[in-house]
Amino acid sequence: MQVKGKGLLKGLGITLKRFFKPKVTVQYPEQRLPLPDRFYGKPEFYYDKCIACNMCVNACPNKVIKLETEAVDKKKVVTRYDFDQQYCLFCGLCQEACPKDAIKFSKDFELTQYNRPDIKIKFVKPEQVEQRKEEIRKAAAEKAAAEAAKAAQEAALKPETADKEGT
Amino acid sequence: MENLFVSMAAGIRSLLGSGGLSEWATDFLVMFLKLGAILVYILVSALWLVYMERKVSAYMQCRIGPNRVGPMGLLQTTADIGKLISKEFIIPKDADKKLFLLGPILIFMPPLAVFAVAPFGKGMVAIDMNIGVYYFLALASLSTVIIWMAGWASNNKYSLIGSMRVVAQMVSYEMPLILSIVGVIILTGTLNMSDIIHAQENVWFIFLQPLGFLIYLIAAVAETNRAPFDLVEGESEIICGPFTEYSGMGFAMFFLAEYANVVLVSVMATTLFLGGWLAPFGLTFIPSWIWFLLKVYLMIFLFMWFRWTYPRVRVDQLMEFGWKVLVPLSIANIFVTGIGKYLYHSLGW
Amino acid sequence: MTLKTEEFLLNLGPQHPSTHGVFRILLTLDGETVVKAVPIPGYLHRGIEKLAESRTYTQVIPYTDRLDYLAGMLMNWGYVHAVEKLMNVEVPERAEYIRVIVGELARIASHLVATGAYAADVGGLTGFIYTFRDREDIMDLFEMISGARLTPSYMRVGGVADDIPDGFIDKCRQFLDYFPTALDEYNGLITGNEIFQARTKNVAIISAEKAIEMSLSGPVLRASGVNYDLRKARPYSVYDRFDFEVPVGSKGDCFDRYYLRLLEMEQSAKIIRHALDQLPEGPIKGKVPKVIKPTAGEAYAEIESSKGIMGTYVVSDGSTNPYRVHFRRPSFVNLGYLDEMLKGWKIADAIAILGSIDIVLGEVDA
Repeated sequence: MQVKGKGLLKGLGITLKRFFKPKVTVQYPEQRLPLPDRFYGKPEFYYDKCIACNMCVNACPNKVIKLETEAVDKKKVVTRYDFDQQYCLFCGLCQEACPKDAIKFSKDFELTQYNRPDIKIKFVKPEQVEQRKEEIRKAAAEKAAAEAAKAAQEAALKPETADKEGT
Repeated sequence: MENLFVSMAAGIRSLLGSGGLSEWATDFLVMFLKLGAILVYILVSALWLVYMERKVSAYMQCRIGPNRVGPMGLLQTTADIGKLISKEFIIPKDADKKLFLLGPILIFMPPLAVFAVAPFGKGMVAIDMNIGVYYFLALASLSTVIIWMAGWASNNKYSLIGSMRVVAQMVSYEMPLILSIVGVIILTGTLNMSDIIHAQENVWFIFLQPLGFLIYLIAAVAETNRAPFDLVEGESEIICGPFTEYSGMGFAMFFLAEYANVVLVSVMATTLFLGGWLAPFGLTFIPSWIWFLLKVYLMIFLFMWFRWTYPRVRVDQLMEFGWKVLVPLSIANIFVTGIGKYLYHSLGW
Repeated sequence: MTLKTEEFLLNLGPQHPSTHGVFRILLTLDGETVVKAVPIPGYLHRGIEKLAESRTYTQVIPYTDRLDYLAGMLMNWGYVHAVEKLMNVEVPERAEYIRVIVGELARIASHLVATGAYAADVGGLTGFIYTFRDREDIMDLFEMISGARLTPSYMRVGGVADDIPDGFIDKCRQFLDYFPTALDEYNGLITGNEIFQARTKNVAIISAEKAIEMSLSGPVLRASGVNYDLRKARPYSVYDRFDFEVPVGSKGDCFDRYYLRLLEMEQSAKIIRHALDQLPEGPIKGKVPKVIKPTAGEAYAEIESSKGIMGTYVVSDGSTNPYRVHFRRPSFVNLGYLDEMLKGWKIADAIAILGSIDIVLGEVDA
């Protein structure tokens, strides 16, 4: 370490210059940087779009998603779609796998919770399931009624074919 | 404004005198008040310096620094101290309990004691001691022993390495520090701080003793264990050195004492080289104590500026620099000063 | 009189401010001097290679992000490169160019961390903040293109996940235009500083022969004067189309290892500029079946990551999951010479030497 102060002085100059230059910090809770559209934040699930194909469940490397279905009148109804966020890698493979865009990541990144069980997101509400079931039953009943009416009409004309279709 | 504090002291004195107290008791009480005021100043100053350091470092690093607690984050340190007080003071199982506890208590003692002789303004010196500089040098090096004690008592290997570094560093840098001051003392022929300031009425000693000032500055940085000579704490090497095992208020005491020491060496630098409370360019309408504080904080800013620019030197380089560069240079400085003074006198300028 | 002295053991880490994670070195010290050093890695072992065996080929990609988490893009690349070799997939040109762009950006980001952390290791904290300030721009770019800052999972077998979004190229060019001033700032603050030079020059010199013998790679190897960069020596992807130099050190000391990274960043910026200029149109993903099921076989492919040669060995048994995946992690291999390098230096040097190798514990321990 000889008396060569040039580098030392230059360093001092740089820090002093920075002292008076504008700062780069963002005052976070009040000021927020814009997030790009591809950002992987909190997942969102669109119940109506989901066709229960299980693609997202299979795509997930960490088995974060739990999908349960119930067959109502031969149609799959999603009864449970649990997203265990604490194991999520936010890799977006589920979003990529979904053919109907039913699972998507929002820009919400403030995901902290006070209690561990709160981390798990249960997307499907019981009333949603009930409503869906009701809709399917209603549709089925209407269809059945329409068919029955049709069958009865047809039965009056051709009694032998009505037996086959009546089930 | 100029005589604010001086007349305050005089007022209290006359108030006490009229109250029928004996002269001895009055003297005692006034002295007590003066020292109390210095104590408050040091503590407030240490708090402020922690804040200032954080702000200065932040500004140099393109950040804003503390800005949430109080206006502009001014109460940040207060909040920090409040947090540290409420924390548990952990004493390691194998530590030497008595020494371990004694460390943070004693660490504030040397700077507090030295401040008694610091001339804060015209006539504003608690004790105008005729060996002021000597007193400063004698007491300031005491903190070495205390830090060493704390490190040894911690019974931690990092603390041990840190405290060994303290001893080595302080001993090696005490030497150039004292030798650099000798130049000033040759010029003035006195050890009294007020007289040294009066001797600078025509020209500050920084201009007569530039090399002495530079050596003092470097040695002072080393004395206060700040970057680039912060080997004692050396965060990236030995965690926190002697203070590794301290938690809560014990740590805070060491932390604040470091700043008290920074104020101390800045006060000394101001007194010895920057003309103390003398106003430059005849700007005497600004009170002397404001000038003094301005110069002190300018010095402190310089210390902070160094800290946030330079990396740390290695332990062998530190020793080499101290003994092979600074000590010979300071001795040469004394030699040149002596010859200069002799010539000055013999030529009768 | 002779004083009786005794050596003592010091555990540097696993919790220590400058082991860059959870790395432990058991130092035998004689005063401040290191007599013996035993590096003990493994505190961040997560068994990524084993985890990969129970995941499909695509599902391994997010795990590779967590190897060298400072250059996740390059780790993605290393893995998909091996799988592509195993499956004989042709990667479209546009995808290759995008890979080069994000890969070099990742290299710059990783070197910025190395530079800043090294400044912090020798005690200058301001340099650390400056490099992280500029790394933030790269992180923003990654966020734009992949949706995540640190763990992009952006590469896919046969291409990349998504095309370049609007505004990315402009922002990237903006960064490249700004970057030289940032480099000047680092050079002024860190490189040119006499104290920094005194701390790093002539410290822990690795000779070229020794570096090759210990199979070091990356900046650590090149700092010793060996001109070996996979991008030039065995060009993969489209690296043969770019005009860049491979900076080489002369001495092989800590300063060379540090300074080489600054020079490499300059070259990376140059490559990105070329790639942005030449960026062709076209598809971003090759013809890869939806379910990746390579025929039984094995493949080993290497890329030049920011720390050195990152090799991936993939064995397939014909199922959808890899039978075995092995990563040749450059910083783990580079650590192999650490015990020799530390001998005889001071504690402060031990930190400086460790920092100059630029290890990332996610990669060392996998």
